[in-house]
Amino acid sequence: MDKKEIEAKVIAVVSQVLGVDEDKISLDSRFVEDLGAESAQSLELVAGFEEAFDIEMEEDAALKVKTVAKAVEFIEKYLK
Amino acid sequence: MKALVFEDDKWTNLTPLSYIHPVYELRCGKTTLFEKIAKKLRGMEIGLGARDYIAALAHKKFNLPVNDPKFFTDDVVLVNGRWLAKAKDTIRTDREGVYTSGDNIVYAVVKRERIAKLWNGDFNALLGQLRTALPETKVEVVMINFIWEFIHHNPEQLREDIEAEGKKGLGTNFPAQSVVVGSADEVYIDPDAQVHPFVVLDTKSGPIYIDRKAKIFPFARIEGPCYIGEDVQIMPGASIREGNSFGPVCRIGGEVEESIFQGYSNKYHDGFIGHAFIGEWVNLGGLTCNSDLKNDYTTVSVYLNGKLTDTGDLKVGSFIGDHTKTSIGVMLNTGTVIGTMCNLTAGGILPKFFPAFSWYVNGKFSKGFGLEMMLQTARAAMARRKKELIPEEEAVIRKVYEMTKEMRSEYIKKSRKQ
Repeated sequence: MDKKEIEAKVIAVVSQVLGVDEDKISLDSRFVEDLGAESAQSLELVAGFEEAFDIEMEEDAALKVKTVAKAVEFIEKYLK
Repeated sequence: MKALVFEDDKWTNLTPLSYIHPVYELRCGKTTLFEKIAKKLRGMEIGLGARDYIAALAHKKFNLPVNDPKFFTDDVVLVNGRWLAKAKDTIRTDREGVYTSGDNIVYAVVKRERIAKLWNGDFNALLGQLRTALPETKVEVVMINFIWEFIHHNPEQLREDIEAEGKKGLGTNFPAQSVVVGSADEVYIDPDAQVHPFVVLDTKSGPIYIDRKAKIFPFARIEGPCYIGEDVQIMPGASIREGNSFGPVCRIGGEVEESIFQGYSNKYHDGFIGHAFIGEWVNLGGLTCNSDLKNDYTTVSVYLNGKLTDTGDLKVGSFIGDHTKTSIGVMLNTGTVIGTMCNLTAGGILPKFFPAFSWYVNGKFSKGFGLEMMLQTARAAMARRKKELIPEEEAVIRKVYEMTKEMRSEYIKKSRKQ
């Protein structure tokens, strides 16, 4: 999976979990400040990424990810 | 000299309660901010400043002139309605000046000639001009800058307000089967109030004031400091913990701690409300509860003016706007803000089994914040009781985590597919 595909998939998950239109989400978007993620939704995001990419992430580290771009980078590591 | 009690731009920091109340109408301690300020203005003609959209309502409620330009035709003291005026506080009217606390104007004393010159119909512009035109003096007072500060100051304000009132006594109708734990001198029961048998009034932490027509039903336990307003009913078996203010005509049951009920609101049934400010005409369904402490013991953030704002406080409950209703079983998260006239219903039925170390949020199981965060939280919780998570215990926890991993993963996977 190339980076563009990962980005598109991450944005799709974020949109679905947070209820924000995809065109309002950029790589620079911050989950809490810009997209309004509550702490409970951060758990749903982790779950969503794991399902979408068929990976199992280390939750402590995953929950430190603050932006969409960082999420893409984080997931890339699991896919390599 | 005239006096005008005004609202400034910071009224938005006191939402959702201030949406339909002038800021000075809000309660802290036994009385409202206005009632405390008015004591400092004895002998003066008092008027009010209010946002245009609530001016007529303010006039109706207070029966005082609102936004009336005649207050600018005499020497005038302009008083900020967010001032929590303490017994020790005074207003100096002997010289013109602006008296400030932080970035707030607490009050300004202005001569008629000056105000006639400066007044152009824009009150906020007038305040700005006064700040540059008049000498500024810092004063040590309490201003309410954010909605959660009402809760923060309420217990101490209750003590002060009740002491200032100076009323004491159980009256002649206090039943032999009810008791006061602590000094009975710390209790005042109005002659028109009713205390039923088997009520406990605990004054070890502060005074209790039971106002006229209030009814306290059997098996209620009330801790001071506490103000029970006119025609309030405390339901059978209620646990009224320290630091509560109940404005008029509230119905209160279950457990309530360090909260303010502005008035006319119902919390008839069981359920916990703590460190909360409840507006008027709110109805909380049975078993409605709010969290007022996060499970990781970190400070509570609250949505204020559309932004998540750290209160800096560990204990912050809910802020519930007027006319809001909750259904039975609504569980409110720490620092929840609910606007005016909202209607909330509870979520679904919870499962009957929760694997170890799982979280159940929004109807889904998850791994939560992970084992390391869970351990961190455990350490914080234990430290609060002067205990330590010893290495041996931590090792056991880590072992159990591994032992239950498979079961937990199954639940999480199943839950995601639902």
